[in-house]
Amino acid sequence: MASGENRAYVLQLARRFTGSSRPFLCEKGLSVTQGAFESCTSVSARASTARWKRTDRFAGCSCKRRKFSAPEQKSMCHFPQRSSVWPFPKLCSIPWRFYHTSTALMCSCSKTVSDEKYQDPFQLGRKDLKNLYEDIKKELLVSTAELREMCEYYFDGKGKAFRPMIVVLMARACNIHHSNSREVQASQRSVAIIAEMIHTASLVHDDVIDDANSRRGKMTVNQIWGERKAVLAGDFILSAASLALARIGNTTIISVLTQVIEDLVRGEFLQLGSKENENERFAHYLEKTFKKTASLIANSCKAVSILGCPDPKVHEIAYQYGKNVGIAFQLIDDVLDFTSCADHLGKPAAADLKLGLATGPVLFACRQKEPRGRLECMHVFVSSSFGHLQGHASQERQEREEYQLLGSAA
Amino acid sequence: MWGALLRRWGRGGGRRGLSGGGPPSAAPWSQVVSEAEKIVGYPTSFMSLRCLLSDELSNIAMQVRKLVGTKHPLLDTARGFVYDSRNNLQMRGLVVLLISKAAGPSTAELSFQHNMVSGIYSSQRSLAEITELIHTAFLVHRGIVNIGELKSCDGPLKDMQFGNKMAVLSGDFLLANACTSLAQLQNTKVVELISSAIGDLVQGIYYENSRSSENCLTDDIGISTWKKQVFLSHSALLAKSCQAAMELAKHSAEMQDMAFRYGKHMSMSHKLHSDLQPFVKESSSDAMAFSLNCAPAVLHQEFLGRDAWIKQIREAQGKGNLMDYKKLQEAIKAGKGVTSAIDLCRCHGNRALAALESFPPSEARAALANIVHAVTRFS
Repeated sequence: MASGENRAYVLQLARRFTGSSRPFLCEKGLSVTQGAFESCTSVSARASTARWKRTDRFAGCSCKRRKFSAPEQKSMCHFPQRSSVWPFPKLCSIPWRFYHTSTALMCSCSKTVSDEKYQDPFQLGRKDLKNLYEDIKKELLVSTAELREMCEYYFDGKGKAFRPMIVVLMARACNIHHSNSREVQASQRSVAIIAEMIHTASLVHDDVIDDANSRRGKMTVNQIWGERKAVLAGDFILSAASLALARIGNTTIISVLTQVIEDLVRGEFLQLGSKENENERFAHYLEKTFKKTASLIANSCKAVSILGCPDPKVHEIAYQYGKNVGIAFQLIDDVLDFTSCADHLGKPAAADLKLGLATGPVLFACRQKEPRGRLECMHVFVSSSFGHLQGHASQERQEREEYQLLGSAA
Repeated sequence: MWGALLRRWGRGGGRRGLSGGGPPSAAPWSQVVSEAEKIVGYPTSFMSLRCLLSDELSNIAMQVRKLVGTKHPLLDTARGFVYDSRNNLQMRGLVVLLISKAAGPSTAELSFQHNMVSGIYSSQRSLAEITELIHTAFLVHRGIVNIGELKSCDGPLKDMQFGNKMAVLSGDFLLANACTSLAQLQNTKVVELISSAIGDLVQGIYYENSRSSENCLTDDIGISTWKKQVFLSHSALLAKSCQAAMELAKHSAEMQDMAFRYGKHMSMSHKLHSDLQPFVKESSSDAMAFSLNCAPAVLHQEFLGRDAWIKQIREAQGKGNLMDYKKLQEAIKAGKGVTSAIDLCRCHGNRALAALESFPPSEARAALANIVHAVTRFS
């Protein structure tokens, strides 16, 4: 990509930052996302029980700002078929599908292809998830029409149902492993439903917290009905999930999934704070990522494995799988926030930076060798996550400074 | 201006205690409560302090300080916790503890080995804390403002957004703690009961919110609808917690039902009592503002008919949209609204007392009865 194009794009992004401190994106910043991507995969490869192999080359983005001509390929992660640690005799390969099939990422990690036959996991789980949204709506039956409408807003069938898909596939795997049963138990299916409901409740509240106005390609609940009702809707979905959880009738499962709710909130709190010490920052970020995203997937996988199989080793494996998939998922999501555009994401891009949140790419950028680049990163952190209480005049001053800085970075 | 006032009422004013209004007349009430606290042998005002000492909440407390000087309602709620000692009673928790003690030890299985302190099982104490946590969480969640409705007189937008963020986070934190403690009780029926209570509470608050919308002065609801909505927002949590407390000690279904009824009718009486305060207090000064959807007003409307009531409201509004509460109060007092509200309050009180009869006589039961007497006293 031409350096002139880089700078222009960076300037455009810089102008969108309101209230957050100086963006770290110097000219090198964009190429760092590539490095970040590679690093992200190595982080996710630290799973002790599974080794990730990846292929990735992404298609060009149709956004006018950037043009690529790489052929489209989906990236895949496969579990090795025969591994001494991995006891599952035959595990369906779980392709790593990102939000959108094309991103504007200019990464070209070298590929490895496993000899597993690729099967679309969403197709595999389709039978079990066919009536997912109808079943969720049954849990949300309430007499007040508007409240019901708000709660059902995100259960319109347009979501990816990524978490339920993982849950039912894990359930199947555990059932086959334990008793060669090809059925999914009703309680395991409930766990999938509960996971999706907890996730959605947290989305609704997150949108109020971040004052977001679009998600999944449409307006957020707080945008349409106001913040007060949005918070109530989130609480209601959570209470319905909790009720469904109680009805499963298993106290262990209740404990496992309640842990998720606590982790979600603690993760949000972790996001409020930041660490000054560079070495702690990455650990802090990973912990936050685990709590906010991975905990739900990890614990739901663990819950269905408990229901399907009595062996605690299997529970642990399911947990580790879910945890690492979740962390990897979030890492890529953070990268996409930089590289994709709003049309593809369904929500505004560069949202994290706008909120002053230091995510994976930013942290990697801070490990740059150039002192200036590092100084920029320091600025992002020190100005704290609440950096939005700045006045308009200082914003203009910032933009002026940014122009000067970028001009000199040529 | 009065729109903002109604909004405030809809939020319940962010106070502790059973409802948005003040407690029953000061002297006998605090006496009742302090005696009750002695009986349960546990300083209830320290309940849920364990979670209050957590890092997250001290983080929040620091951040909430930034809200000082703004108009975000979270500040009122927080202030209410700290300064409002008169109202700073953890009523719900206290009632749950009392009813646990009044029901006595479990008669179900001999193998029921749980530790009991002052006649109350530790699981029941935990449940009392959980009830308070949930109640507090929703007090906090009530204090959220709609960004789209803010005017320039409300202050900078960023402050309100920040306040919302803090309110959502702290409410969620309290709820998450409640859920975790619930899971530790290892009883799925109790989890079911309390989860459904949370659902009821949400619906009740939803009705509260809708009632305080700017467009309609007052809802066209009769007293039976009012009772259903108030049950959801004010009674469901306590009633189901009382029932859950019985379940934890494996008491019979009849006992659970009686506990439920006590919780329900006692809290209905309490709400009626606080709604009646502006109408029964002798004060020569300006009348207290009151919600136009309070019980006496709703009953008054039922007797008078909606059109006549709307006419009275308009007359009280006068010019400049400023509500003359004194005038409206006189109008309501002149009708049958106040007396029938008092009757309704006493009726619920009697039902609560009737439910208590199935409990064996004890100090705890007497304390519960005293609470009912305190909320039905109007002199």
